[in-house]
Amino acid sequence: MKVGLFVTCVVDMMRPRIGFAALRLLEDAGCEVVVPMGQTCCGQPAFNAGDRASTRRLAAKLIGEFEALDYIVVPSGSCGGMIRKHFPTLFEGDADMSRRADALAGRTFELTDFLVSVLGVERVPGDFRGTVTYHDSCSGLRELGVKSQPRALLGLMPGVTVREMGEAEACCGFGGLFSVKYGDVSARIAERKCNDICAAAADAVVLGDLGCMLNIEGRLRRMGDERTRVLHIAEVLAGEDG
Amino acid sequence: MRSQAMFFRARSGEKLADQLLQRNLATVRNRFVDARAAAIARYEGDFEALRDSGQEIRDRVLANLDVWLETFEERACSSGAEVLYARDGDEICRLVTDIARRHGVTRAVKSKSMLSEEASLNQALAAAGIEPVETDLGEYIQQIDDNEPPSHILAPAFHKSKEQIAELFARTHGTPLKSDIAELTREAREVLRAHFVSAQMGISGGNFLVAETGSVALVTNEGNGRMVTTLPRVHVVITGIEKIVPTLEDLTTLLRLLPRSASGQDISSYVSVLTGVKAERDSDGPEHLYFILVDNGRAGLVGSEFQDMLRCIRCSACMNHCPVYQSIGGHAYGWVYPGPMGSVLTPLYTGIGNALDLPQASTLCNQCGSVCPVRIPLPDLLRRLREKQVDMGLRPRGERLALRLWAWVAARPVLYRVASAIGVRYLNWLADGTDRIRVMGIAPEWSAERDLPAPEGRTFRELYRHRSRQRSGNGPGSPHNRSV
Repeated sequence: MKVGLFVTCVVDMMRPRIGFAALRLLEDAGCEVVVPMGQTCCGQPAFNAGDRASTRRLAAKLIGEFEALDYIVVPSGSCGGMIRKHFPTLFEGDADMSRRADALAGRTFELTDFLVSVLGVERVPGDFRGTVTYHDSCSGLRELGVKSQPRALLGLMPGVTVREMGEAEACCGFGGLFSVKYGDVSARIAERKCNDICAAAADAVVLGDLGCMLNIEGRLRRMGDERTRVLHIAEVLAGEDG
Repeated sequence: MRSQAMFFRARSGEKLADQLLQRNLATVRNRFVDARAAAIARYEGDFEALRDSGQEIRDRVLANLDVWLETFEERACSSGAEVLYARDGDEICRLVTDIARRHGVTRAVKSKSMLSEEASLNQALAAAGIEPVETDLGEYIQQIDDNEPPSHILAPAFHKSKEQIAELFARTHGTPLKSDIAELTREAREVLRAHFVSAQMGISGGNFLVAETGSVALVTNEGNGRMVTTLPRVHVVITGIEKIVPTLEDLTTLLRLLPRSASGQDISSYVSVLTGVKAERDSDGPEHLYFILVDNGRAGLVGSEFQDMLRCIRCSACMNHCPVYQSIGGHAYGWVYPGPMGSVLTPLYTGIGNALDLPQASTLCNQCGSVCPVRIPLPDLLRRLREKQVDMGLRPRGERLALRLWAWVAARPVLYRVASAIGVRYLNWLADGTDRIRVMGIAPEWSAERDLPAPEGRTFRELYRHRSRQRSGNGPGSPHNRSV
């Protein structure tokens, strides 16, 4: 089974270790992982900014790079949602591209969803010890139905205790360009999320989307919380890359 | 109402800084959210199937809106009502004042009508020498508070605390300061009762218009709606052309959805289905009944890419669940409808160029879409409005250039590899050896109230190429390393 890893642009630049963690999890589960090196961005920033033409160009590029593979796996709910839910809506009037977008969408999975729903993994390599609280990122949750999968995987780790925060499904306020256009509103929403995280008093807040991750860590640190670690689910599940 | 939506940015900032408002919002924030969740948990049927039915009914109406309007008009007229159409707010005002003059009306009692807010009807009535009296408790509070606009479509005084209302009552009514909500309500009721008895005209909105019977359905909790629609000689219903439902059976489906989605009630305290004028056998009811069916931008959405928005049954679930609305309240949105539904309706009804911020001021988290009783895809509609802004050349030049440049670079893997490696090093330089960036000149809105965690130092593709080379013993590179 050939699995294409779409690293995502934010992981590429900000947190490469998450890309390697995803790689390790997939290889550990027996997948042959392919990382197409021409990959860049799924086009989500342009899509949400209303720039359809740019979105279509980047979507067509990604489809071309991944469509020969059996699956495409993404360590991000919003990029996964972009490919799975929105790519098929981009090529109205272009039957060939629409068909290709549909075909790829059906084989695209968010990382934890893939590990649980497709691979059915029963053990993970990570050895994290401590209490974690899980933030449900909006796109993963509401576009892809990612809710039980990360918790099921954390449940495989004997050292991990999950302690749910209040309003785990509430938005963290990131919203892509929203966070730099309406920074004050965005930061206020983030503050509420961070208060819920702090109230859970966990060693780490764990999540599955890079935007939320940077937003939550940024706000936690500015609020003076130096203690709560902010970790991507892949890092926790994979442990240190050997 | 004249839209103030162009001032969203400034006003949202003011609302965030308003400590009293923030305290009030925090107090009420989850009230409707929790009530809705509890109501759905109690519901014996399948609520998701109910949402499907709600959507189907509303779509069925919109597919043949003209036909359903004709049916409604014919049935309403045959029961003694008169059906009038208003193109915009000015026409609403003209029609209502004409009716009032014809019947010698000097005072009109109103139950909640958002359409009358669209039209600024109260000002027009006052200018014509007719005294408008709001009788919905929240609307009444807003009216005596110097005609402040509502901040929520269900609870107009959502942004006010009990203490603020008590102080307002004491000041306006000249009564001692009270603290008990029941006592405050009684005080308002005593003031309003005199108006109910003396008013010659009642003005109401309409939650639904039933085509098969020519009736208007009103969903209320305070009983004022019954007084407004049955005591005065004249009753004027003002509602949007899209509020039609085909049959009473369809109405019952929507009545299962609306109170649960709105206030979390299984059913509201009052549901009135009013048909025609007072008949000989009736003990009460109006002698004259007028329907004013309003376009004000709605007809233009029929058949457009925004038609889904016309399904809206005005429950307020989208704003109740919206993290932006919860943070700033309703007034910052600047027109009649706040929250996600308002961010779609305001630009569509008052001009896309007059409300540029509203479609942008959303995280697209889709809390709204996932609670909407008639499944309006609100984030998709907001995104479509963003596309309109781009197509119409209404976005700032810098933003357009930045996005196009990003997309241009991202379409060229080699260039992207170099640019991202430089970008990462630049961010690391900003972090100055620490794990975070505290001030970012290129994104000041981000760093005003939060840090940006520093990047690790090298990009994934740099590290991956390095690792692939090592693994293949400095050979020609990984087989996956094909494009670069």
